[in-house]
Amino acid sequence: MLRCYVIGMDSKPDPISAELFRNAVVALADEMALTIYRAAYSGVLKNIMDYSTAICDGRGRLVAQGLSLPGHLASIPTALQACLRHFGDDIAHDDVLIMNDPYEGGMHLPDIFIFRPFMQDGRVLAWATTVCHHTDVGGRVPGSNASDSTEIFAEGLRLPPLKLVAGGRMDGTLIRIIERNVRLPGRVMGDLRAQLAACEIAIRGLRELLARHGEALLLALLNETMDHSERLTRHCLGELPDGEATFTDWIDDDQIDAGVPIKLVCTVRKSGERMVFDWTGSSPQVRGAINNTWSYTAGASYCAAKCVLSVNMPNNDGVFRAIEVIAPSGTITNALPPAACAARGLTGFRAADCAFGALAQLYPDRVFAASDGGNTGITIGGTDKERRPFIYVDFLSGAWGGRPFADGLDGNTNMFANMASFSIEVIEAENPLEVLDYEMLPDTGGPGRFRGGMSLRRTWRMLAEQGILQVRADRATHRPYGLQGGGPGTPSRNILDPGQDSEQQLAAKLTMTLRRGQVFRHELPGAGGWGDPLARDLAAVTADLREGKITADGALRDYGAVVTPDGVIDPGATALLREAMQARRAPTPSPAWETLGATPVLPQTETAP
Amino acid sequence: MSMRVGVDIGGTFTDFVAFGEDGTVRTFKTPSTPSDPSAAIIDGIAALLGAAGPGASISEVLHATTIGSNAILQGQIARTALITTRGFRDVLEIRDLRMPRLYDIGWTKPVPLVPRHLRLEVDEKTRPDGSVATELDANSVAAAIKTLREQEVQSVAICLLHSYANPAHEKVVAESIRAVLPNIAISVSHAVLPEIKEYPRTSTTVINAAIQPVMRAYLSVLQARLQAIGVVAPVSMMQSNGGLAAARAASDMPARIVESGPAAGVVGAASLAARLGEASVVTFDMGGTTAKAGLVEDGQVARTEAMEVGAGVMAGARLLVGGGYMLKLPAIDLAEVGAGGGSICRIDAGGAPKVGPQSAGAVPGPVGYGRGGTEPTITDCALVLGYLDPAGLAGGTLRLDLELSRRAVAERLAGPMGLSLEQAALGMIRIASATMMRAIRAVSVERGRDVRGCTMMAFGGNGPLFAAGIARELGITRIIVPPLPGLFSAFGLLLADTEHHLTRTARAELSTLSPETLQASLDSLLVEGDALLAQDGFPPDRREATMFVLARYVGQSSEIAVPLSPGTPADILASLAEAFGAEHARLYGFRGPADERVEIMGLQLLARGRAERPRLPGRIPPARLGAGSLRPAWFQDTGWATTPVIDRAGLADAPLRGPLIVQEYDATCLVPPGAVANLDGFGNIRITV
Repeated sequence: MLRCYVIGMDSKPDPISAELFRNAVVALADEMALTIYRAAYSGVLKNIMDYSTAICDGRGRLVAQGLSLPGHLASIPTALQACLRHFGDDIAHDDVLIMNDPYEGGMHLPDIFIFRPFMQDGRVLAWATTVCHHTDVGGRVPGSNASDSTEIFAEGLRLPPLKLVAGGRMDGTLIRIIERNVRLPGRVMGDLRAQLAACEIAIRGLRELLARHGEALLLALLNETMDHSERLTRHCLGELPDGEATFTDWIDDDQIDAGVPIKLVCTVRKSGERMVFDWTGSSPQVRGAINNTWSYTAGASYCAAKCVLSVNMPNNDGVFRAIEVIAPSGTITNALPPAACAARGLTGFRAADCAFGALAQLYPDRVFAASDGGNTGITIGGTDKERRPFIYVDFLSGAWGGRPFADGLDGNTNMFANMASFSIEVIEAENPLEVLDYEMLPDTGGPGRFRGGMSLRRTWRMLAEQGILQVRADRATHRPYGLQGGGPGTPSRNILDPGQDSEQQLAAKLTMTLRRGQVFRHELPGAGGWGDPLARDLAAVTADLREGKITADGALRDYGAVVTPDGVIDPGATALLREAMQARRAPTPSPAWETLGATPVLPQTETAP
Repeated sequence: MSMRVGVDIGGTFTDFVAFGEDGTVRTFKTPSTPSDPSAAIIDGIAALLGAAGPGASISEVLHATTIGSNAILQGQIARTALITTRGFRDVLEIRDLRMPRLYDIGWTKPVPLVPRHLRLEVDEKTRPDGSVATELDANSVAAAIKTLREQEVQSVAICLLHSYANPAHEKVVAESIRAVLPNIAISVSHAVLPEIKEYPRTSTTVINAAIQPVMRAYLSVLQARLQAIGVVAPVSMMQSNGGLAAARAASDMPARIVESGPAAGVVGAASLAARLGEASVVTFDMGGTTAKAGLVEDGQVARTEAMEVGAGVMAGARLLVGGGYMLKLPAIDLAEVGAGGGSICRIDAGGAPKVGPQSAGAVPGPVGYGRGGTEPTITDCALVLGYLDPAGLAGGTLRLDLELSRRAVAERLAGPMGLSLEQAALGMIRIASATMMRAIRAVSVERGRDVRGCTMMAFGGNGPLFAAGIARELGITRIIVPPLPGLFSAFGLLLADTEHHLTRTARAELSTLSPETLQASLDSLLVEGDALLAQDGFPPDRREATMFVLARYVGQSSEIAVPLSPGTPADILASLAEAFGAEHARLYGFRGPADERVEIMGLQLLARGRAERPRLPGRIPPARLGAGSLRPAWFQDTGWATTPVIDRAGLADAPLRGPLIVQEYDATCLVPPGAVANLDGFGNIRITV
């Protein structure tokens, strides 16, 4: 029997008890996250931390989320509340729920949610919740993440809200269906066990908290934890100036309708202690598999908001109460079935870029220029010389946009996904591939008073007879934007056989056969710059030159810095050149937002004398 | 009479503890001399010799220092270069991409220890199986050497791809440099860390290179100065893994002694626990800015495979990495949180009370220090509640102003929260305690251990003050406050053994591994460990070896270390799957089905040289400071209570019931109401809560 408790004002806990409880419940969510991290089988969970853990209250509201992927910020309560609607009061203390349906609260099929109730005398007091990105959930391609599927039925096993465990007994039928429909049943079952182990940890912790506080106070403390976050969020919002701003950013295409750019529009309205992210105006949902569900668009919105508000903002329902997300259904920001959504990661990254762009107009001193645009997904699969199958899945990422107070970071994960890079030696030891380089490229960071982060490249040589190469890159035609006069970063590039007669530029998103000896190179986009590059401190230009982060040509072209043959900057000549470059600019610069939004690749119009 | 001396250089004080062969224990504390750290050591040793009288001598100097980590944090490292395979010089700067904080556009990566223009590339490539794909190009080596010379590089790290499988190219590069530039210090990755994964190996090798000249210079000055005052005893250094290393070994591999101070306290706790027959101990070491917890089981310290230098304290959980410099060498597993006596207490914008991680430090320090601090700290709260003596610690050299503390707590905490002064002060201590409990849980509960069955060993300047409150919250009933709690790292140094930790990459699925292959891998590690101990002067009967395998289920991405039971390789192999499954279940609460495949990722050896005689004296006589007194102190259950204040010797006759304050030269121990304290035969305070 499911009943929910609302506690009157009289049982408000004292501030010390509330803080101790907050610490305990956040620690519990972190302990769950650590359990999954340690026990998980798949590298996706480990390297990308593509999972989240949380404690929710009996109504499915988020109370505390473990350290995890920013994109998951809104996902757990959305999915749990869908389950609660489905099961009503048909929930027992020894049940465990499972689901992954994007159209019933999920995100994309690889993300499997596991929920376990914490009950007392038939009343649900709280939920232990986890979501993990599983290595494979079936469908037409290994990894279940093809960006060129056109409906969800091609993407894998779709689980509506179900009971994985009912009355303490694992549902053998469901398990057999799952095992039969995924490519790596051992790994999927292993990761599900890790999720169950994390829920067990949470239930033990909740039991201790119940024993300590009793039911009434426990419920009051859960409420106060959310209320405190709401007060804190509203306080921080109240200190920011009011305003409204709209930003448009683009995805190059969805790989199905090649060359057709996809529009994302974000309007931020801030008034008083409230902020709204409105995605009205964004492109209708697309045929390719890059459609967002509402919760993923919300995750991108919250991520951008949290960066502007405060580093220490908690993750719970209190934040959501003060920040509204409007994503019209039928658009790429909130797709309707049967839209495909397996590769919606790309749209999440771009939505974050777009939300940052809108916020940057309102709060220019708190937002960085566009980062690398999110990760590039690369998959190479086939059979090695002993005819054993191999599948290599890699995600490359690496540069931050220039910041209002410092250069963008070189070689750092995107803000929207705290990813790790794969070890070169492990790639070579486990796959018939040779990695030829992994390095930063000069003159790729968007020029600015604060330079954007540099592009990274990685190059592979195929050692097996042949294999299939799949690449999902973007920002090849819509470069990462600069801010406040900063220039955009360089576009992403895919190159076959670089430096050889057979060298060939490839599309950003592709599926092709790679044969023995062929070489594939990917270059990530460079990140956007912040502020006028002609105002860049010459000491910073000098340091970049010494470190090979820009070339002498780049210094001249982008920064108006004249480098003498022995490699030092000539301050006199530089001052004159900068003055001349300044003078050649349009007398009244157009507003930054029209010229410096998502800048398409254009020929360089400005050349040094 | 000869003495063994333990010396721990901390940020503020350098601590000394000396055991005489006649059983005497002497201590000394002197301000550290950061610009010339060995100066304080010489002063202290001279003072100890003077106090011991004519004929006294030093037989051994055991030393812990943060010189390595300080050099890295303050950028006072050698001018260091890195030589890599062409195309991979940025591995050091790209790191593993991860950041330790989310949603913070102000996050800035630690500056690479080698700038890009000193990261040099050579043409070569070895394959994962050790075969050579591209021969080493002599011209590219010559070009790199030319740059080393022109740029006046002092130390060079060499890290080529797959050198763990075949170190030939690294060796040639090193020999080429040595032939031309004999004065450059050289660190080669296959010697520092012969393991797969280029980033951890590169980072660890670079750290070694960057501090090697610093450490060599320090140790040679120290040894020269010791000789100048007539001390010719061998000097040993504490390694981050808790074992001692001869000064010579430490000079060769300084990466192993980067974080040696905190390790010494845990080693002391382990040795004491073994003596006392305590099977499971959590250590609780609280100082001015942070608190650290460790785990000791059956006298063995828990270790971790990697650490980050300068990452700061753990951000709630140990999932977010990237804050410091990756050092992948075994280290004592310490969980550290930003809560200490100096931690600042505040009310946030949402009305919630928060403690730390900001610290008032030594200057201005807590409000009660009267040095201009305005924000109340945990020390101020303890003073308000009567737990600390306004006359101060350290023999009264530092007086505390109770009124200033009371005013700060009242105005900034109690008022805004609508609580009484005492409730507010105690509340802040409870919140700090909750943070410290997370550190203890991190090394116990999060590793599948039931903390309630553990004994807590509390030390550090503030550990004994807060131990009982924290133990109660965690369900721990037994607390040991060892002698000299404020000097416990120096004490621990005297109890450590010489240790070498060796690792090997050895990948194989368990079902396909033959006893012969396993035997061969184990033998090569054993021979190497044996040789190192022989070099240290240990005869064969005092050399011990413990072996571990690193194993995981096929498909998992992290390994766990499983100790190898003695027996023939065939026996070991037969029992390994079960041993792994049992350890997995203990750590994570579940194990795979019986037919789940297990793979071996590597082997580890811990080679230990046993001391000739037991290193722990039979008893440390309790200090006697003088007559006891009474002081009002405030507790939740009793309100203000007249509380006896005694010295450690005051517990000698009979167990005493709390409330009680045991005041010592270097720490204050609080026994709350309901708890009972007594002195054991060794000289420990035992508290039962």
